[in-house]
Amino acid sequence: MAEQAINPIEQFNVSPLFSSHKLGHTDIAFTNASLLMVIILGLVSLLMIYGTSRRSLVPGRLQAAAEMSYEFVADTVRGTAGNEGMRFFPFVFSLFMFVLFANLLGLLPFSYTVTSQIVVTFALAALVMLVVIGYGLFRHGTHFLGLFAPSGVAKPILPFIVLIEIISFLSRPISLSVRLFANMLAGHITLKVFGGFVVLLLGSGTAAALIAPLPFIGIIILTAFELLVAALQAYVFAILTCVYLNDAIHPGH
Amino acid sequence: MANPPDDDAAMKARLKELSGALDSHRKAAAAPKVAAGAPSPNGMGQAMSLGFRVMSEFVAAVVVGGFIGWAIDRWLGISPAALIVFGALGTVAGFWNVYRIAAQPTGPRRDSGR
Repeated sequence: MAEQAINPIEQFNVSPLFSSHKLGHTDIAFTNASLLMVIILGLVSLLMIYGTSRRSLVPGRLQAAAEMSYEFVADTVRGTAGNEGMRFFPFVFSLFMFVLFANLLGLLPFSYTVTSQIVVTFALAALVMLVVIGYGLFRHGTHFLGLFAPSGVAKPILPFIVLIEIISFLSRPISLSVRLFANMLAGHITLKVFGGFVVLLLGSGTAAALIAPLPFIGIIILTAFELLVAALQAYVFAILTCVYLNDAIHPGH
Repeated sequence: MANPPDDDAAMKARLKELSGALDSHRKAAAAPKVAAGAPSPNGMGQAMSLGFRVMSEFVAAVVVGGFIGWAIDRWLGISPAALIVFGALGTVAGFWNVYRIAAQPTGPRRDSGR
């Protein structure tokens, strides 16, 4: 019983909330992860729709939050991908808000961290890469492939450069998804392990119980740090999306 | 009838003033962000995220290169040859990724020309 309570991995279990449904051979059950995603979508929509519905000149709290998030992402997009990148603003904004809310909601006790599943983060990263490739080909045609052959490279080493650039390009979705996933996973496991220390020390019934507050202080500091990491990783995800989109808009840099 | 030119001049002056205010506002909005990149309360978090970014970019490139080599090996049956070549290429690509991060920090990219 106690062992199960402090199992640091248990928090990442995906379990169906209702009896599972099958589509062909694929299980498409509505799980706790799905529930969290629906809640995230609901909260983001609520913030943006309700927050901007009042449109007062002096913004209230919700409106200020909505406007700040808009301006923050707009500045990021404009600063990284230029004014032309603004056509991807809705895309980047949705990604940023989804990741941010997923990270932040995951910090609440008894909730679930959607972004600690590599399936989710890789799906997001793959979406980004597909948009980059799709838009690059649509906009520049085969000229987009010039992304892999930088200008001013001597002919004999060009094949190597092209190979390296292709590997570098293919590594992007992996590093993008693994970074977010690993940050979330490591942070939550660390929190849970420290929480386990507190319980074990208190439950030991010896003098060791006296040092139980130490890991507890650790939890408090780590939670603050995780809050920072949650926001920072959402920002990093958004800004790298912009950097990659910039490649699709201006290939051959 | 003496009004229009006068009005026009006033309008122009006002416009200039406004655009000046807008410029300074924009500069003010841009300035703190540059400052925030330097030491700040969350400098530790940012430094860690940058470090983690460098690591993940490097590892991802090596893994992708190794995977391509392994797949080609399996496909052509030339067991370690392609793995070695593509592993090396992946490592180079990893260094290239890291170099790009270092040479061009996540600040605004110059929008030259186009």
